[in-house]
Amino acid sequence: MIKDITIGQFFPGQSIVHRLDPRIKLLLTVIYIVMLFIADTFLGLFAGIVFLAAAYAISQIPLKMILKSVKPIVPLIIFTGILNLFFITTGETLIKFWIFKITTGSIKTAVFMIIRIIALIIGTSLLTYTTSPIALTDAIERVLSPLKKIKLPVHEVAMMMTIALRFIPTLVEETDKITMAQKARGADMESGSLIKRAKALIPILIPLFVSAFRRAEELAMAMECRCYHGGEGRTRLKQLHCALRDMYAVFISAAFIALVIIIDRVNIF
Amino acid sequence: MAVIETENLTYVYGEGTPFRKVALDNVNLSVEEGELVGVIGHTGSGKSTLIEHFNALLRPTSGNVFIDGERINWDEKKTLRDIRFKVGLVFQYPEYQLFEDTVYKDIAFGPKNMELDENEIDRRVRETARLVGISEDMLTKSPFDLSGGQKRRVAIAGVMAMEPKVLILDEPTAGLDPKGRETILEMIHHYHREKKNTVMLVSHSMEDVAKIAKKILVMNDGRLFCYDDTKKVFERADELNAMGLSVPQITRVFNRLKEKGINITEDVYTVDFGKKLVEKVMEMKK
Repeated sequence: MIKDITIGQFFPGQSIVHRLDPRIKLLLTVIYIVMLFIADTFLGLFAGIVFLAAAYAISQIPLKMILKSVKPIVPLIIFTGILNLFFITTGETLIKFWIFKITTGSIKTAVFMIIRIIALIIGTSLLTYTTSPIALTDAIERVLSPLKKIKLPVHEVAMMMTIALRFIPTLVEETDKITMAQKARGADMESGSLIKRAKALIPILIPLFVSAFRRAEELAMAMECRCYHGGEGRTRLKQLHCALRDMYAVFISAAFIALVIIIDRVNIF
Repeated sequence: MAVIETENLTYVYGEGTPFRKVALDNVNLSVEEGELVGVIGHTGSGKSTLIEHFNALLRPTSGNVFIDGERINWDEKKTLRDIRFKVGLVFQYPEYQLFEDTVYKDIAFGPKNMELDENEIDRRVRETARLVGISEDMLTKSPFDLSGGQKRRVAIAGVMAMEPKVLILDEPTAGLDPKGRETILEMIHHYHREKKNTVMLVSHSMEDVAKIAKKILVMNDGRLFCYDDTKKVFERADELNAMGLSVPQITRVFNRLKEKGINITEDVYTVDFGKKLVEKVMEMKK
């Protein structure tokens, strides 16, 4: 039941995509997103999808995982599709009823948006599939480190993210345990009205919060005992290194984004 | 009459994944009404999995569980709650399940779920509070203000107040100091004597189990190793040792004395009994 939640959806592997420097992967993801949004023609978008497909092929992430990443946003996709379909009014009118009209322009935009969103989700999922949450927060910390200049607590934020990620499985397990214990006392969580069900969550949420605070306190104490005092002067166990493969990856991505721009300029479709 | 019965009970974790593990393997057992049973076995032997079947929290992979002669029917969700009222389960570290703003309300949570009337709830709360040694003035306090041992007693009272036919406690003395352990054990013993209900006590402390249990159920590697009188189980000290369990320290001492040729016919598994026996032997020597 509750164990099926995947937040850190890391899918371990040994492919080149997995071994890329997480900072580079972060950068490439940004490039990819830009690529999707400057593509204004179907051919341009197609180039973006080829790039994505190639990346997935190299990373050896199973097809099942791709579908899994799209599933939760299906309602969003449908919603965006419908909005675009009805509220874009460019092009020739095809069907008209009441205040709605469907035009060639609206169909084109709707299809475009749908493809874009799907490609966006699948693409960003590749980042989380091939990068462990810890590596990712490391990368974020490094990428954002210039912001330290303006007194932004980058290290602290990254540490908080790491700790949060670390405790998700623990809390899930704890929720399971508490749920079982309350069920054993006859708590009924499966029937009744919405309000009744929401109320039935109280016996689970309160103990969960209490224990989360207790854990936080214990962890803070343990960290202080080991003289943790923030990021200042702290070295790392795992240094991030840019290798030759990272250069290649950047080069290939740059080539792709150039290709997308050229296709759009030529505008053959 | 048997109050809990299992028939070829098997439970497999993670069926169809690489993590597949048989937690219970073909367990057949029958617990009579009014017994005080100790359940022992080392970590991962399946004792917790076993007891979670008794109040329908887990659905067996195959086999059946009978409570009070009735087969648990997992397809009828409504009946499962009734089973949970019949078989009260106190989890490990039960103090982490407290949530109400007063001790009184927390103990009343179970009985309230049973939809009893106010007077009956009140009677049960006060009675169990007395039974576990929680004074009247503590009932209005927040459970979060109590000490660790008190919290645990309140949590146990919360299950006892449902007056289940069978009370199962999973490691009720874990993490307590010797005095706290003593209090909890005494309390369970007292509850059993007063209510005459079936009690099952899961523990890996042989001393605890030996002190109060009349019968012992030993789990090993997902299988039922034996279910017999305390005395007979501790006679199999060598086998218990082989599976990583031990008999109580005092039993070991007396077994060695026997090996040394001292004439002791009875088996000893509590310090009190051992003391009496030593006194008797000394007496005879005089």
